Amino acid sequence: MDFSVIADNLSYFLLGAWPHGPLGGAALTLVLSISSALASGALGLVLGVALATTHGPAHQGLVLALGFFRAIPVLMLIFWTYFLLPIVFGFNVPGTGTVVVALSLIGGSYLAHSVYAGIASLPPGQWQAAAALGLRRADALRHVILPQALPIMLPSFLNQWIALIKDSSLAYVIGVGELSFVATQVSNREMVYPTEIFLFVALLYFIICSSLELGAGAIARRYGSAEKQT
Amino acid sequence: MIRKFRFLALLALSALAGVAQADRLDDIRKAGVLRVAAFDSNPPFGFVDPKSKQIVGLDVDYARELASKLGVKLQLVPTNPANRIPLLSANKVDIVLANFTITEERAKQVNFSIPYFASGQQFIAKKGTLKSADQLGSLRIGVDKGTTNEIVLREKYPGATLVAYDDTPFAFTALRNGNVQAITQDGPKLIGLLANVPDKENYEIPPFSISDDLIGAGLPKDETRFTEYVNAFLRELEASGKAQKIYDAWFGPSTKTPLTRIFRIGDK
Repeated sequence: MDFSVIADNLSYFLLGAWPHGPLGGAALTLVLSISSALASGALGLVLGVALATTHGPAHQGLVLALGFFRAIPVLMLIFWTYFLLPIVFGFNVPGTGTVVVALSLIGGSYLAHSVYAGIASLPPGQWQAAAALGLRRADALRHVILPQALPIMLPSFLNQWIALIKDSSLAYVIGVGELSFVATQVSNREMVYPTEIFLFVALLYFIICSSLELGAGAIARRYGSAEKQT
Repeated sequence: MIRKFRFLALLALSALAGVAQADRLDDIRKAGVLRVAAFDSNPPFGFVDPKSKQIVGLDVDYARELASKLGVKLQLVPTNPANRIPLLSANKVDIVLANFTITEERAKQVNFSIPYFASGQQFIAKKGTLKSADQLGSLRIGVDKGTTNEIVLREKYPGATLVAYDDTPFAFTALRNGNVQAITQDGPKLIGLLANVPDKENYEIPPFSISDDLIGAGLPKDETRFTEYVNAFLRELEASGKAQKIYDAWFGPSTKTPLTRIFRIGDK
């Protein structure tokens, strides 16, 4: 094993061609992950609340739409958005945008069901008690239901976001220069160090994912203890 | 109501006419940018330079010359073999300069320029395992997905077991690990590969090839004017000696991959 190939190309792994070219490598993986985590979180929250508060055809329609995005592989969605939209609709989406949209839509669909399950896990008495206090449904949701349901959902969000960080590597299929893509470029030039290079890439993904886990754990502990004090 | 409908029909017609008249050459000049699909993982045709971190290579040099002749900026879009036609069809690039072998099948979907490079399909194997083409039918052979190498091998040697890899380093790693007994690619590319291998004395490229491939630029289907422009550009490059200079920069005697130039632009 010869890890000098890592040291020689370290800045390319971490930043891509930046500052003399577009941002790439681990930094782009972070950018892709953070923007799709935020978008999928917001999407999941809104759609999950919609699932919990709608009935009849609107609810069925929503379940169907979410089912569609949960059923197609991320890779397919990225590929079709990038290559098929311009051919069929003459509508051009840049590569980075394609990846963020695909990850957000699919992550959001998964999270919507987690949010729905979190809200449904509360006893119906909570809604009734809020109504008895004279709160409208929106206020009941904001002040009574979500503060109790969100901590229950945290593990699901964390799971989904970690899956999303790893799925960002699928951007390679349309040539977006995130971590695994630039690693492949270096591997293809150096030819004989794939073991060293991809061990290092695995380590970077491990660091990114575990920092998210540790960060979320710290926030949850602080949030939890603050709640106990009141 | 009828007038409104007629107006809409007229609008639709003019939109259609606009599509039919659209000329890529004008579009490129208007945009001021030439978008070129080039390999980013395929030395010496297109790969990321360790110092500049930019994509460089033989195909990139052609792209640079074309952009400067057009008087526009060059934008390189990295591609793998399988994405070359989709990138053209989806209008993500204007031209593919990525060691693109001219075939009838591909010509149904894209236009090709006249060839600017030629190579033959060859093999790399551990020393002593592969002596002649007759053995191919009984071997496990690694190929790159979406290349003509895969198709040619399937047609000519149906007995061979083919294992398709995303790119050449994966195929070569499979060869090193013994998952396959040989891998196949265009000769010049294999020579480039072998030049980078630290234990190159253990491998060889047997001196036979199973096809003659002509490499051309891939252009959008039915863009005749743009195709003719590129053809004229290539002939000019040969006449001015620049094509030879580009070749020598990557395959000349002082490079890691010295290879005699057997094909000149305009040869049949």
